[in-house]
Amino acid sequence: MTSRTGLRLLFALLLASWPVRADAQTQKSVSITPVQSLSFGLLVPGIRGMVRVTDASRRAVVALAGKGPVDITLVLPSSLDSPTGERIPLQFSAGDAAFLNADGSTISTLDPLQPNRIQLRNDRTILFVLGGTAVTATSTRPGQYTARVTLLVSQPGT
Amino acid sequence: MNRTLRLVAALGMLAIPTLAQAQSPTTGSIAASATIQSVFAFGTPVALSFGNVTPGTTATGSGNIPMQRNIGVIYSLPDGGTTGQLTGPGGTIQPTYSCGVGTTSAAITTAFANCTSTSALFTVAATSVTGLVNEWVIFNGSLSAAQTNTVPGTYSGTIHVLATPN
Repeated sequence: MTSRTGLRLLFALLLASWPVRADAQTQKSVSITPVQSLSFGLLVPGIRGMVRVTDASRRAVVALAGKGPVDITLVLPSSLDSPTGERIPLQFSAGDAAFLNADGSTISTLDPLQPNRIQLRNDRTILFVLGGTAVTATSTRPGQYTARVTLLVSQPGT
Repeated sequence: MNRTLRLVAALGMLAIPTLAQAQSPTTGSIAASATIQSVFAFGTPVALSFGNVTPGTTATGSGNIPMQRNIGVIYSLPDGGTTGQLTGPGGTIQPTYSCGVGTTSAAITTAFANCTSTSALFTVAATSVTGLVNEWVIFNGSLSAAQTNTVPGTYSGTIHVLATPN
């Protein structure tokens, strides 16, 4: 075998083994659309404020759309905070979250402290709703308190 | 040729792309909020009554109004010098009052400088309030013998206390 033949063979082998990146992988995507914030509203010091997942006006709502299974994991705040540093502890427990159909019917109630999986289909939007409990004390000062919940949405197998 | 082959092979290995790329989770965010209510309200007052007074004798009476708040306050008396004036068949009678704030309804613990001023008589800043406060604005009144030596009948009036959030 001549050197040229050897080189051509080598190049051919290299080209044959070059991976094709675009075609073999299926593209999956999910959209997350915030619909409503979690609003505990007006609270009296010393009285706990509870928002149930059935409280349509105060629960948080996020719309999920896409295809395939998705895992929802929450990073939950430990408190609501005021601009001056005061805090209202927050509590979340099993039943404080749920998946709903777009018509409001319940698919399943969830534990927001755990990752939760839902199967998305192109023909429907799923609502993720979240409630919780704000624990005020008699010493809680008047004012506005806020916090932020982070949603991590991942698709298994990607 | 061997060198050339090695060079090409090296170039080939360097150029092979990485197939496995993990996709990062998609993130979203939910806002949460609450508003702590200001508590600032008078409760049901206890009327100050001098009772049935024998003309020409002295008389005393005490009354109060509870206040519940979680913010600061400024108390004043909008009627000024006629605070708690009584009116009846014989005209007006102006009792002498001592007044102030008490931690219970039984006794004044912080006296006002007077009971006739329309200016601030008691001030608590919001920063000094650490929780829900229950206090009583108390008035103790007295009538002299000369004041009760008047036309018989019922004499009545109203004590107005102004509480301004601070």
